This record gives sequence, structure tokens and C-alpha cells, in this order.
Amino acid sequence: MARSLKKGPYIDFRLDNKVQTMNDSGKKSVIKTWSRRSMISPDFVGHTFAVHNGNKFIPVYVTENMVGHKLGEFAPTRNFRGHTAKKDKGKR
Amino acid sequence: MTKDDCYQVGHITKTHGVNGELVIFLDVDEPSDYADLDSILLDVKGELLPYFIESIAIVKGSRAIVAFEDVDTIEQAERLINCGVFLPLENLEPIEDEDRFYFHEIVGYRVVDSREGELGIVRGVYAMNAQDLIAMDYQQKEVLIPINSDIVHTIDRANQRLNVTLPDGLLAIYLEDDTTTKAETNGDRDDTDED
Repeated sequence: MARSLKKGPYIDFRLDNKVQTMNDSGKKSVIKTWSRRSMISPDFVGHTFAVHNGNKFIPVYVTENMVGHKLGEFAPTRNFRGHTAKKDKGKR
Repeated sequence: MTKDDCYQVGHITKTHGVNGELVIFLDVDEPSDYADLDSILLDVKGELLPYFIESIAIVKGSRAIVAFEDVDTIEQAERLINCGVFLPLENLEPIEDEDRFYFHEIVGYRVVDSREGELGIVRGVYAMNAQDLIAMDYQQKEVLIPINSDIVHTIDRANQRLNVTLPDGLLAIYLEDDTTTKAETNGDRDDTDED
């Protein structure tokens, strides 16, 4: 069930404060967080978050198409395998 | 032809219908580039065997429904489920641009930061849905770097270098990881922490 619109999105207030402070100062350093449940707001775009996956921190560079998702969606908690096989995949 | 001379296009996921058609998951950036294939190589029990394509249709973005010659029944098709699909490396279009690269070609490259200088060696690439990550060896630790044009700038193929500008504090997170975990188990951690 979707979260009630009346409540608005959940964003950890300490995380939100840090992003606001960085946006005000124009500084962009990595923000370490355990708050996987926080929703990505438009203010987060361009920042890099180190999201804890229970084992280590996964860096998440926030882009516009991530807005509205939760931070935890981009830091998988299960093992993910390396991608060293030769494939037609790359930075485009 | 061995796997070293080929690149993986995807794998067969399931049968389609009862006339021997198969569904291939295309693990590539541009599935539509593979709409005109005449033949492919299938990894059947570790051996690459050529299969000729009667018809191919790209559906749902990264899936293709394929009919092979001499595969006419569902029983014959079921034997090919989970087989890897390969093509010769000469079919892979070489990239000359400095700001584009295939993931497999950067393995072993040196990562050079615009501020910190040379950092480490690329161990591999983790391909995920939303973003891809470079795994780099740095001071005997694995450091993950998001692949984004703001962070990964250019590739120098002649010198096997990857030029990046890491966000402030990224390296420190991996170097301080052990102490953070201890604090976390002691219940001292905050939900967020800036580095």
C-alpha cells in the first residue's frame, strides 16, 4: 500500500539537514547514511551518498531519475557478482 | 572458436510456444542492434556451437524470441535453456571515443584521480539496474566508484588509465569502514554521518 499523501515523503531529518547545509554552502562531499528508508528528494540530485547495505557502504550518485525512490533500492543487500565478462555493455 | 574470441550477448531463458522457439535475454545496452542476426554461438555444456536463426523478434526491450534452424519441437528447445549466447568479438563495434568504454576493457586499468593522482587498479565492474560501479583495489581494500560522467571522465587506452574525479570523502569511507562497524555494534551510530 502506498504511503498516504497527507504525510508526505519520509526523509530522515538529519540526512535532510545535511543535504540542505551542503546545498547552501555549495559543498559536495559524500554523505554516509544508514537510512535506507529515506526517499530521494529533488534536493539530493548531484550528491553522492554512501548507503549502508548491512555489510559495507555502497556509493550512490543521485540522478534525476532516482527521485521518488528510496536510497536502499540502490544499495543491494545480497551479493552481486562482478561484470568482467566480455559484453556489449558500457558507458554510453 | 573459444570464449576468449567471443563476447556474451545474453542467455536463453525459456521456451516460447510448442514449435521450438526460444526466449533470449539480451544483456546488452542496445538490444535493437541485434534484430538482424543470422547466426549465433550457443554455449552447450562448455562448447560453443553455431546455430542459424530462422527468425528473430525483439520484444519487451531486452528480450528476443528466436526460432533456430533444426530446432522444431519444444523438447529440442528445452535442451537449450540457460545456454549462454555468444558472438565473435569482431562483431563488437570498437569504441574510439575517450569518454566511452566497454566495461570489460577497463579491467586492469589504473584509476587516476584529478586531485589525488594514481589510486589503484580496476578489479571489475558491478552492473546494476540504476547505476554501475567500478570496483578498484586501493590499499588492499575494495573501493566502489559510481560510473557517471561527473565522476568518470575519460579513458586513456594507450596508457591504460581511467581519469576520474572522486567525490570528497569517498576513499575515507572505505579506509574508516572497520572503525565505523565497531561503533555501529556498540550502538553509537547515528542514522547519518557525513565524511
